[in-house]
This record gives sequence, structure tokens and C-alpha cells, in this order.
Amino acid sequence: MALMKKKNRPTGEIPTSSMADIAFLLLVFFLVTTVFDEERGLSIVLPEQGSEVQVSPKNVLFLMVQPNGVVNIQRGENPQIQQATANQVAGIWRQEFANNPNLIAAVKTSPNAPYRFMIDVLDQLHTAGADKISLQVLE
Amino acid sequence: MAMKGGLKRKSKAASEIPSSSLADMAFLLLIFFMVTTTFRKEQPREVVFPEAEATEKLEQPRKDVLHLYVESDGSIFINDQLVGPDQVSNMIAPLYRDNTSMVVMLRSDRDVPYVTIDQILKELQAAGALRVAFYTNLEQRMLRERR
Repeated sequence: MALMKKKNRPTGEIPTSSMADIAFLLLVFFLVTTVFDEERGLSIVLPEQGSEVQVSPKNVLFLMVQPNGVVNIQRGENPQIQQATANQVAGIWRQEFANNPNLIAAVKTSPNAPYRFMIDVLDQLHTAGADKISLQVLE
Repeated sequence: MAMKGGLKRKSKAASEIPSSSLADMAFLLLIFFMVTTTFRKEQPREVVFPEAEATEKLEQPRKDVLHLYVESDGSIFINDQLVGPDQVSNMIAPLYRDNTSMVVMLRSDRDVPYVTIDQILKELQAAGALRVAFYTNLEQRMLRERR
């Protein structure tokens, strides 16, 4: 009867050697599936309500965004209007700003123009380093 | 000299990397990522964002950013709630009072008529929330030139 003794008795321990594998598997899963949704965009600070200041028209560069995306550019009081595409705005701004460091960009967008055309112009102004930007609706 | 044979090293350093704490480390990392992950509260909206080259990352803690969605039909959503264009100010003002470092992230569809955006900006101005960002996707220069 002594020979009938159980030879391999199950051990009383939970196997922990694969624990690290399981944990790393979960870790890799979370690392891969996590999407960091970062906040990005073009930031602007609006003027306070009722704090409108009068600026001399000669310090203003009017950028009138038409519904078809064409930008009509008017330099201050000069009635002459130059037609341009949104892509040209950065170059024009740099040129004008070099002549007049007090220049303000007034982006006047037509009420019917899609939002993206205004963003295109704003993008160009940001690219060119303009910091004084006014957003208005074209009457 | 005969003593040399008796000076055999007794405790040999184990040649294995201890792996018993590996699981602890892995779980620690796992728990860290699980805790720091925040899930978006808002429902996904079908909005196509405009693209801009000058897109920059906003250095603002997530809790200070309020998302304002404008869908292509002009409907405005704040915190998953449909808001009329003239109600934006009423909705934002108390939120702004609670957190004055708030930035309004305007997530608008690219084809929304500008008049809607202007109306929203005026409402934000009235609410005193002056820091606004227009959400854009980064535009690659290559794509722009091809256009």
C-alpha cells in the first residue's frame, strides 16, 4: 500500500510567474488604446465689451473676406482695393507691417462666407506674426 | 600559500535578474495610466474642422477649456446641450464666473456661415469670456500647395 501514495500532489500556491506577463499585456493595451486629445487651434483674445477704441484709419489694413474666398484688401483710407487669395495675406501683411509697425489687421468677413475662409486669413495673419487682429462682419 | 585553497568565495552573486517585482512594477504603471486617463464627456459630433498652418497647442489645463460646438447647420452645443444663438451668453456667464481662467474652444464646422460665428463671439464678449480659441487641424504645407 505504501506504493499507492500520491506522487504529484498539486501545490497549494497560485502560480505567479505569469502575473507580470498579464500585467504588461494590460499595460500595453491601455497604452495603445489611449488617445490624448490635445487642445489645439488659433487663440485670440476678444476686446472687452464697451472698450472699443478709435484708431486712425491709416493704421488699419482691411481684409474683406468674400463669400467665394477672395480677400479684398484695402489699405487704410486708400480707396483702392486689391484682390488677393487667402494664401497671399501673410506676404502682404509682412510687407505692410514693415512700413507701419502700428498696423492693425481688421478681418471683415461677409456674413455668408464659410467660417473656413476667415480661418484661412486668420491663419495667415498668425503665420506672419500679426498680434493686433480685429474680427468683424462685413456690412 | 597553502591557505589559498581555503579562501574560496562562499556567496556567489546570483547571475539572474530578479523578476519577482516585475509584476508590481507593471501593475503600478497600469494603475497610473488607468487613473490619469480621462474620458471625454461629450458625445462625438459630426463636425469637420477647418485647417490652419499656424495651429498651436493650447497650454491650458483641460479643466479650464470649455468646448463650444457649432454644427454645419448652425446649431450650437455647450456641454452636450443644444443652445440657441442668443442663449450662449446666459449659458457661459455662470460657467465663467466659476472659473475665470476659462478658455472657450470654438469647435465649429468649416462651412458654417460667418454670421453665426460673429454672433457667438459677441455673446462671449457679453459674458466676459474673452479668451477664445478656434479649433483647427494642423495643415501640412504639402497639402496646401497641392490645392
